[in-house]
Amino acid sequence: MNEYRVGVIGAGTMGAGIALVCARQGYSVKLLDANEETLERAKQYFHSTLTKDVTKGKISEEQKAKTIQLINPIARIEELHDRTIIVEAVPERLELKKSLFQQLAKICSEKTLLLSNTSSISITAIAGSLAHPERVLGLHFFNPAPVMPLVEVIRGKQSSEENVQATYQFAKKLAKVPVMATDTPGFIVNRVARPYYNEALRILGDGVAEVEQIDRIMKRAGGFKMGPFELQDMIGIDINFATTQTVFQDFFYEGRFKPSRIQERMVQAGNLGRKTGEGFYDYS
Amino acid sequence: MTTANQTILLVGEGPLFEELHYLMTSNQYQVIDLKMAETGTYQVKLALEVMNTDLEKKKDSIVQLDRLLSLEVPIVTTSLAITATEVASWTKHPERICGFGTLVPLVERELIEIAPALQTAEEITPQVTTFFTTLGKETEVVVDEVGLVFPRILSLIINEAVFAVMEKTATAEDIDIAMQKGTNYPQGPLAWADQIGIDEIYAIVNGIHRDLREERYRPAPLLRKLVLAARTGKKCGQGFYLYPQEEGIRV
Repeated sequence: MNEYRVGVIGAGTMGAGIALVCARQGYSVKLLDANEETLERAKQYFHSTLTKDVTKGKISEEQKAKTIQLINPIARIEELHDRTIIVEAVPERLELKKSLFQQLAKICSEKTLLLSNTSSISITAIAGSLAHPERVLGLHFFNPAPVMPLVEVIRGKQSSEENVQATYQFAKKLAKVPVMATDTPGFIVNRVARPYYNEALRILGDGVAEVEQIDRIMKRAGGFKMGPFELQDMIGIDINFATTQTVFQDFFYEGRFKPSRIQERMVQAGNLGRKTGEGFYDYS
Repeated sequence: MTTANQTILLVGEGPLFEELHYLMTSNQYQVIDLKMAETGTYQVKLALEVMNTDLEKKKDSIVQLDRLLSLEVPIVTTSLAITATEVASWTKHPERICGFGTLVPLVERELIEIAPALQTAEEITPQVTTFFTTLGKETEVVVDEVGLVFPRILSLIINEAVFAVMEKTATAEDIDIAMQKGTNYPQGPLAWADQIGIDEIYAIVNGIHRDLREERYRPAPLLRKLVLAARTGKKCGQGFYLYPQEEGIRV
C-alpha cells in the first residue's frame, strides 16, 4: 500500500481535504504550508473529522491514530524531495503555481507527478515553462474533497499518455470517481454548470420569474436538490461570479458565458450569500 | 373539482402527447382528438396543444382549434419553442390562448409552469392552473418567454454539454458522470437529452435563439446534426448513447 508517497501543498480547506483523502487510503502524506496557523487548523480538522468517524463506528480508534500519523505537516518545500506525487492546492494565481512547480522540478525526481487542483487555470499554462511538462496534469477535487466522489483528471497539451493513465489510476486508488477532460476553460463541471446559474440570472433579469419561483421550479419541476440562487448563496456569490468571469475570459468572451450584472451588483454590495448573512435570501 | 366526464381535446405529437394523454385518462378525463371534436358531439372543457418540433404544424393545429372551439374554451399550448404570445397572434381569439411547459417524463415533474400570453384574458390563467392541479401537479405562473424556466435552463445546460462533446473536452459518459458526482445533478445532461428527445431540446434552444437573437443561445451544431440524422435519443434507439432494442423500452 505504500506505492504512493504524496505531497500536498496548501493546507486550506481543499488541501487539507485532499490530504485526508490520501491518508484514509493508507498513503503517507506530507502537507506543506508556510503558515503555521493554517497547518494547526488542518490538524484540528483531521482530528475532529476522524473522531466523528470513530463515533459513527466507521473506523476504530486505532485506524484514526494511524491515519493521523500518516499526515506529516511540514513548513519547508525541500522536504517534498522524496514524494512520487504532489498535488498543489494553493490560491488560484498562475504565477504562484508556476513558481511552485519550478521549485519542485529542482527538488523532486523528474518522474514525480506534479498535479494541480486548479479549477480555473489552464494546466498547459502552468506546465509550459517547466523542464518536464509531460508530468504536469490537473487533478481537480470538489468541495468538500472527502465527501464529493468526483475528480476531474485534466490532460495538459504536453501531458504524456503514461502520466495521464498514472493520474487516473491514482484517483481510483483514492476511491474517487475520475473523469478525463482536456485542458479547456472550466474543464467539465465548471463549464457545463454555468447555465444553471447564468441563465437563472438572465431569466431573473428579464423579469420572467422571481428568485423564489426559479428556485422552486428547478427543484419541483427539475428535480435539482438546490435552486440556482440558494446554491449561489451557499457557494458564495463572489466565488460563483469569479468562476463565470474566468470561463468567459478564457473562452475569449464567447456570448454563452457572459456574466450577469445582477450578480456583479451583489458582489459590489458585499451581499455574498450565507457567509455575509445576505445574498439572494436573507440569513440574518 | 371533479374531472369525471370532462372532455379535453389533445392535439400535437411527441413525447408530451402520449404522457399527457395517459395522465389525463388516469385522472378520469375523457380525452379526444381533433377529428372527434369536429363531429360536434363533445363539449370540450379545454384544449391542449403540444407540438414543439414543427411550428408549421403547430400553427395549423392552433388555427383549427381557434376556428372549431367556442370562445370560452381555453387553448393551452406548449411555449417551449415559441412564445405563447406568438401562438396567440395566429388566432382570431388570442385572449383564450395560454402557454405552459414541461418535459417528459411527467412522473418526475412535481410542478408544471404556466405562461400566459400578453393577450391572455385574466380569467383564463386560473382555469389552466386548476386543470394542472387536477392532474396532481403544482403550478407556477411565469412571464411568457420561450422555454419558460426549467426547460430553458436544462436545454442550455444540455447545449453546453453538447459543445463540450463536440470539442472533445470529454466523452458523453464522463460529462454525465461529472455532473452527477461533482455537482449532484439528478441526471447527466446527455442521458437526460436522450430521455427527453434531442429534437425537443433542439427545438427549445433554437426557439430561444430565434426569439432573442443572441449568440449566447446558438445551438451546438452537433445537436442539430443529431436531429437531421434522426438520432434523437432513447425513443429511436440512438442519441448520445446506444439503446439496444430490448433495452429501448426500459425507463
